[in-house]
Amino acid sequence: MGEQLQNPILSIEDLNVKFTLRGQVLHAIRGVSLDVHPGESIAIVGESGSGKSVFVKCTMGLLDANGQITGGAIRYNGMDLTSFRTDEDWLKIRGREIAMVFQDPMTSLNPLKTIGKQIQEAVELHQGLKGAAAYRAVLEVLSDVGIDDAPRRYKQYPHEFSGGMRQRVVIAIAVACRPRILICDEPTTALDVTIQTQILELIKAMQKKYNLTTIYITHDLGVVANVADRIAVMYAGDIVEVGTCEEVFYDPRHPYTWALLSSLPQLGVKNEPLYAIQGTPPNLFHEIRGDAFAPRNPRALKIDFLERPPMFAVTQTHKARTWLLDPRAPQVAPPEHIRALREKGGNPYA
Amino acid sequence: MAKYIIKRVLRSLLTMFIIITILFALLRLMPIEGYFENFDKMSSTQIQVKLNSLGLNDPLPKQLMRFYQQLLQGDLGVSNVYRRGVAITEIIGEKIPISIKLGLISLCISLAVGLPLGILMARSTRTRFKIGDRLGTVFIVIVQAVPSAVYHILIQFAGSQTYIGKEILGFPMLFDAANPKSYILPVISLSIGSIAYYAMWLRRYMVDESNKDYIRLARAKGVPGGAISRRHVFRNAFVPMVQYIRNSILFTLMGSLYVESLYSVPGMGGLLVTAIKRQDNTLVQALVLIYAVISILGLLFGDILMGIVDPRISFAKKEGAR
Repeated sequence: MGEQLQNPILSIEDLNVKFTLRGQVLHAIRGVSLDVHPGESIAIVGESGSGKSVFVKCTMGLLDANGQITGGAIRYNGMDLTSFRTDEDWLKIRGREIAMVFQDPMTSLNPLKTIGKQIQEAVELHQGLKGAAAYRAVLEVLSDVGIDDAPRRYKQYPHEFSGGMRQRVVIAIAVACRPRILICDEPTTALDVTIQTQILELIKAMQKKYNLTTIYITHDLGVVANVADRIAVMYAGDIVEVGTCEEVFYDPRHPYTWALLSSLPQLGVKNEPLYAIQGTPPNLFHEIRGDAFAPRNPRALKIDFLERPPMFAVTQTHKARTWLLDPRAPQVAPPEHIRALREKGGNPYA
Repeated sequence: MAKYIIKRVLRSLLTMFIIITILFALLRLMPIEGYFENFDKMSSTQIQVKLNSLGLNDPLPKQLMRFYQQLLQGDLGVSNVYRRGVAITEIIGEKIPISIKLGLISLCISLAVGLPLGILMARSTRTRFKIGDRLGTVFIVIVQAVPSAVYHILIQFAGSQTYIGKEILGFPMLFDAANPKSYILPVISLSIGSIAYYAMWLRRYMVDESNKDYIRLARAKGVPGGAISRRHVFRNAFVPMVQYIRNSILFTLMGSLYVESLYSVPGMGGLLVTAIKRQDNTLVQALVLIYAVISILGLLFGDILMGIVDPRISFAKKEGAR
């Protein structure tokens, strides 16, 4: 991949985030590194509580008050964002450089302001337009996101829009900021299945039109297969595997990725119970030793319980944090249907 | 919108008509002593003559029609006991402006102090030590927990003292309509409770609002903190506040019984109690009527205001799809 050789637009190194909750410390992000390249779209997948939302919130300074970055660096455009302390610092980034689309369009718009005004706020802040010029820019972005009859819609309030239309408005607000990076935090989770595809298509179209780099956060592998160039799999506050879409889907290396893919209903055999990963994710209030997934992994090695595996490179673009990739490790074969998937060489969604 | 207002006004008129009729019926049930100053000393013929002259021996429907007519002409009748022979409109006309004047001044002050205090407290919950929020909470808890009689006396006492031989505070202890300085202590007494009240509720609603998703979105799109507070949080938190403000306007017009007697303000507060105690039937009737009208107008005003601040309340029939 040629773009891998470019300098990353956003580079996160060994990021650590801790939350203090009732005197206890929760280690939510445990030393995560990730490079995001210009123009690509990368998906961060993981189950609830794996830290994917916290991870991206760090890049915009939107952590809750009890959360703190305790180590590592977030490099963007020559700045280290972890050194930002005040809201004034973050105003250089929020919207202007990185914009975000939230999960629930029903609650992410101000119910007392017309949607036009809400988009115009972004236009005035980041495109430096005022008055009639700003109004025209709003109408333009409204039709960009596929909202017809823009002048009438400008004057309407969020309660006059359906869920899918509101998500279009939220996307309009994000692109009206003219950011370089667009973070979509589960953009389709709260939507009807029939609307989901439309919204994903819209985000893809916006990415092309405005030359955006997109970061998707999702637990829906279907979304990933549709939109992502690269996938990062998160588990218990760590990225356990990262690679191109093909690499992660057809040649997964981490036991957690195997388990995750195995639980796809599409891979199940008819009339047999669906696969479910045993056990529960680790409690991040406790210190994690070794590979966080080891206790739930029937194929775990002894060392998985003792020492944290490093990132092993499979190819230039494909990395996984598992001892199985150590040259000294025994050959552990992935589950049968994962191998079958590789032989088929086909996207389960294609 | 205009259609809605007309509809509400007509409905209010209907409510008023019903209240007036019920009030009339209730007062016919009152003992007739309430129409005489010295009932005990009068002979029964004297009483009958008086009742006849007041028209109280006429058939009820005739009395009711006369009652409506008088009301339409703005005639509330004549006081029988409280101030014998004086028209009730005159009695109230002297008192109501004083209550309204004091009430409106204190309403403005409690809004001007209470709302900023609430905003300050809400913003301070985001800071490290929350000093503003804590101090404000102390103030609110004191005002709410201490019986108002206690702090009114404290205000009156502390405010009227001279300190270190100088007139630093030394405001007049009693109200005197001609002396503007004497307004200060009653106004403080009248507004301190509402200041705490407004601050408490506005803080609460603002904290609620600032945890909403659309505030996160506003932050994510790069709106500066102050603008978020003004344009999104305060604006939205103000909607539920409208109801409280409407209520305190109503209380203002009725006058405060305690504060007015403490500072001997010749206002509306306590007039109804006195009238009932002294069994002045026509005065009771007039006052109940006035309070009922004020309440109805207040409800109407509150609903219209609510419709103006909250676009989700729609006056017209829903048109087409949502």
